[in-house]
Amino acid sequence: MAASPTSSAPVTALSPQLERAAARLASIVGPHAILSRPSELVTYSADGLPFYRKRPALAVFPETREQLIAVVRALAEERIPFVPRGAGTGLSGGALAENDAVVIGLNRLRRILSIDPENRRAVVEPGAVNAGLTRAASEYGLHYAPDPSSQTACTIGGNVAENAGGPHCLKYGVTLNHVLALTVILPDGELVSLGSAHGERDGYDLLGAFVGSEGCFGIAVDVTVRLVKNPEAVRTLLADYTAIVDAARAVSAIIASGVVPAAMEMMDGPTIRAVEASIYAAGYPVDADAVLLVELDGLTAGLEEDVALVERLCREAGARAVRIARDETERARLWQGRKKAFGAMGRISPDLVVQDAVVPRTRLPDILAEIHRIAQETGVLVCNVFHAGDGNLHPNIAYDARDAEATARVHHAMRAIMRACIDAGGTITGEHGVGLDKLDYMPLVFTEDTLEAMCRLRDVFDPERRANPGKVVPVRSCREWHMAPAARREAAPV
Amino acid sequence: MTSNDVRDAVREAAGTRTPVRIVGRGTWLDAGRPVRATRTLSLAALSGVVQYEPGDFTLTARAGTTLAELTAATLPHRQYLALDPFGDPDGTLGATVATAANGPMAYAFGGPRDNVIGLEVITGDGAIVRCGGRVVKNVAGFDLTRLFTGAWGTLGVVTEVSVRLRALPAVDETYALAIDERPERLTALVASVRRASIAPFAMELVSPEIASRLSLTATSTLLVRLGGNAASVRAQRTVLDTFGESRQVANEVWSALRSAEPAGTIVARLSTLPSNMAQLWTQAREALAGVPGAMIVASVGRGIARCVLPDDASDAAGRLARCEATVIFERLPAGLWAELAPSPVSDRLSRSVKDRFDPSHVLNPGVLGEEAR
Repeated sequence: MAASPTSSAPVTALSPQLERAAARLASIVGPHAILSRPSELVTYSADGLPFYRKRPALAVFPETREQLIAVVRALAEERIPFVPRGAGTGLSGGALAENDAVVIGLNRLRRILSIDPENRRAVVEPGAVNAGLTRAASEYGLHYAPDPSSQTACTIGGNVAENAGGPHCLKYGVTLNHVLALTVILPDGELVSLGSAHGERDGYDLLGAFVGSEGCFGIAVDVTVRLVKNPEAVRTLLADYTAIVDAARAVSAIIASGVVPAAMEMMDGPTIRAVEASIYAAGYPVDADAVLLVELDGLTAGLEEDVALVERLCREAGARAVRIARDETERARLWQGRKKAFGAMGRISPDLVVQDAVVPRTRLPDILAEIHRIAQETGVLVCNVFHAGDGNLHPNIAYDARDAEATARVHHAMRAIMRACIDAGGTITGEHGVGLDKLDYMPLVFTEDTLEAMCRLRDVFDPERRANPGKVVPVRSCREWHMAPAARREAAPV
Repeated sequence: MTSNDVRDAVREAAGTRTPVRIVGRGTWLDAGRPVRATRTLSLAALSGVVQYEPGDFTLTARAGTTLAELTAATLPHRQYLALDPFGDPDGTLGATVATAANGPMAYAFGGPRDNVIGLEVITGDGAIVRCGGRVVKNVAGFDLTRLFTGAWGTLGVVTEVSVRLRALPAVDETYALAIDERPERLTALVASVRRASIAPFAMELVSPEIASRLSLTATSTLLVRLGGNAASVRAQRTVLDTFGESRQVANEVWSALRSAEPAGTIVARLSTLPSNMAQLWTQAREALAGVPGAMIVASVGRGIARCVLPDDASDAAGRLARCEATVIFERLPAGLWAELAPSPVSDRLSRSVKDRFDPSHVLNPGVLGEEAR
C-alpha cells in the first residue's frame, strides 16, 4: 500500500489541513493503511455504478474498533468530511467522495464477534461479509436472511447503510427487520448505542432512523443482527412464459392466493439470453419472453400443497412449462443464473447501468409494457431482472459509455422509466439507495417540507454535514446549508 | 376534518405556545406519563380508508380510523392488518402507530415499525411531511417513518398511515396447553418450543388469572396460534402434542386476551433475551405474588412479559422495576413515573430530535418524560 504520506509527492497537492490530517491518520492506522496517491485511489473512485467517478483525497483503513473511533475523532477535530465504504458494491454512487474528503474503508473490520445460536443473533464488525455471516451461522442451522445479489462481497455495515434487500426479503424482510442493535460512532466522535440486543427499547426509534441512512449519520462500529432458522424444506420452481405480461399476472395471482413465497424473481427475454450465453447458464428457455423463479420454503408439512397451488397458478396465467428443481444442484443452478445475471449482461456491451425502482404489485403488467415502450422509443436495450413479488424492478440498460450519443439516450430512458414508476404510485429506489444517482428524483417523490424534514433528521446525527456530504437529499432542500462547497453536486456523468 | 385542519391547529398552538394533547378515540389516555397540555386535539373525525387496492396488499387510512374499521374493510378480501395491540379494538390506527403498540402476532409479523410503509405527519412547526410511500419496499431518503412510529406524538401528529396487509390463512386455529411453570420445567419447555418444527403466528404464556378470565382452566397456559394450509397446521398440532395435551380453543380467545386488562391498572413490559424467558417469568410471578388481580401475559418467542396490576400496587410495581430485565412502563399512577421510569428521551440525540421536529415543545409534552421548555 502507500508509503508514508509525508514522503510521497502527491500528498503535497493536498491542502495543509488534509496534509495534517493524513499524518494524524497515518499515526493511528500505520503508514501502510492509508492511501494518498492518485494511482492508488483509483479503486476508491467508483462503486458498482459506472456513471460516476470521483477521487477522494485519502483513503484510510482502520483494522480495529479503537482505530476506527480514533480516525473519526481525528477527522472531527480537523473538520474534514468523510465517506464510509464497505465493499464498494453499492449501486447508487453512495460511497464516492469528493477530493476534499476521506474515504474510511471498513473492509478490514470484518470479524464476526459472536454468534448466540440459542437466541439466534450475531454481533459483527461493519466490514463482515454478508455471505460469510451466513456461512458461520450454518453450523447452528441458522442464516442471515437479507441476501443482496452481491452477498459474496458486500458487507453487513454497507447493508445497514443501504437498508439492503435481496430476493428472499419477500418473505423474510429487509435489513431493517433484522438489525437489533448498533454501536455507532457519530461524525462528531461520540459513541452511542441504538436499539437493544437484549430486550425492547422505548423512546425514539433512532435505530430505525439510522438503518438506510447511507453513511450520512455516522459509522456502525458493531452490528447485532437477527439470525433465522434454516427452513426444513425448500422447493424452487421455474415457470416460463411467451409473454412477460402473463408472468406478471402469475405474480399477482400468487400474491393474492395468500401463499408467501420465500422469493419470486422475474427475468425477461434479453436477460435470459444473456445468462444462457454466459458461463452462468442455468438452463433457462432461451426462446421465452420471461421466466419466473419462485421459491417456497418453511416447514416440510404443507409445503407440497403450496408448491402445487403455485404451479397451478403459474399455469393458469399461461406458463408454457413449469419446472421444479429436483435436487439442491438444480436449485443452485437456477439461482446462479439469477444472482449472476448482472455479470452475464457484461457480455452484451461494455457498460451496464443497474436501476432500481418499485411499483405497487398490481401495476407490474402496465409498467413492464411501459418500459418496453420506452426502450423501443429511445433505442436502448433494457434487461429486466427483478424482485417481482415486492414490485421491486431492476430495469438494467446495457450500453457503451464511450458512445456519447448512446449514453445520452440511456440517461433519457432512465429518466422516463423512473417517471413512469412514480406515476404508477411507486418510488425511485427499493434497495439500492439514493446516493448521488437518485438525488434529482427525490423532489419528484417528496415535497419540499418532507425533504426539509429529512435534512432535520440528518442534522440530529451530523449537524456539520461532514458524513457522506452531498448524498441522499438535494442540497437545495435544506434551509440551513453552511458546510458544503457548492461544487458538491457537480457529479457529472463521465 | 382534513390534514390541513390539523396543520392549522398545530400552527396555531405553536404560534401561541399552547401545549396540546393529541387524542384518537381516547382509549390510550391512561398510558404514558402525564401530559402537560391545556388543549386537546382530537383526530376522531379524521377517519376512513383513503386507498385500498387488495391486489397490492396495502392500505392507506386516516389516523382516526379504528382497528375494528380496518378489519371490516379488509376481511371481505380475506386480508388483515397483522397488528393486534393490547387494548380496545376501537383504538385507532394513528394511536397504534404513535405508541408502537403491538400484540401477540408481533411474534410472527413484527410491530408497527415492520408493518407501516408510509405516513403523513404534521410536525410541531406545522409542516406536512409525507414519508415512505404505498409500496412494500422503499429506501428513498432518510427513514422518517421509523422516527415518527413510536414517538407518542411528540414529534408530529400522525394524520394518515399506509400499511402492508397479509392474507388470511386457509386454516387458523388456536391451541391451549396447560404448563408446569416450575423454573427448570419452564426453561426446558421454552427451549424445546423455540426449536420445534412449528411456525406459530402467536405464542403467549398467560398466568392463571388471565386463563380464568378467558374461561380456561385457571392454570398457567400456553396459547399457540397456528396458521397455514390444512396439512401444515395438522402437522404442527401433532408437534404441539409432544409438549403436553393441547386443546383447541376458539380464536376469540385472542380478542378476549387483548381486552382482558381492566381500566385503571399499572402495565409494565419486562423484556430480556428469549433464552432467559423462563427466569423472567419466574421473577415476574414472584414480584406479583399475592397482588390481587395481577396478571402476566408473556410473548415466549420474543422474551417479553406484560404485567398488569392494580394501580394501588405501587410496591409490586417497584419490585417489577427492579427485576433483572429491561422494564418499560406503559401505565403508572402519575406520582410513580419519576421514581420508577426514567425518561427514554433524555439523551442528547433524542433531545435534538425533539427540538428539531417540535421546536416549541407543544405536542404531547411530557408523555415521554421529556424536558419542559
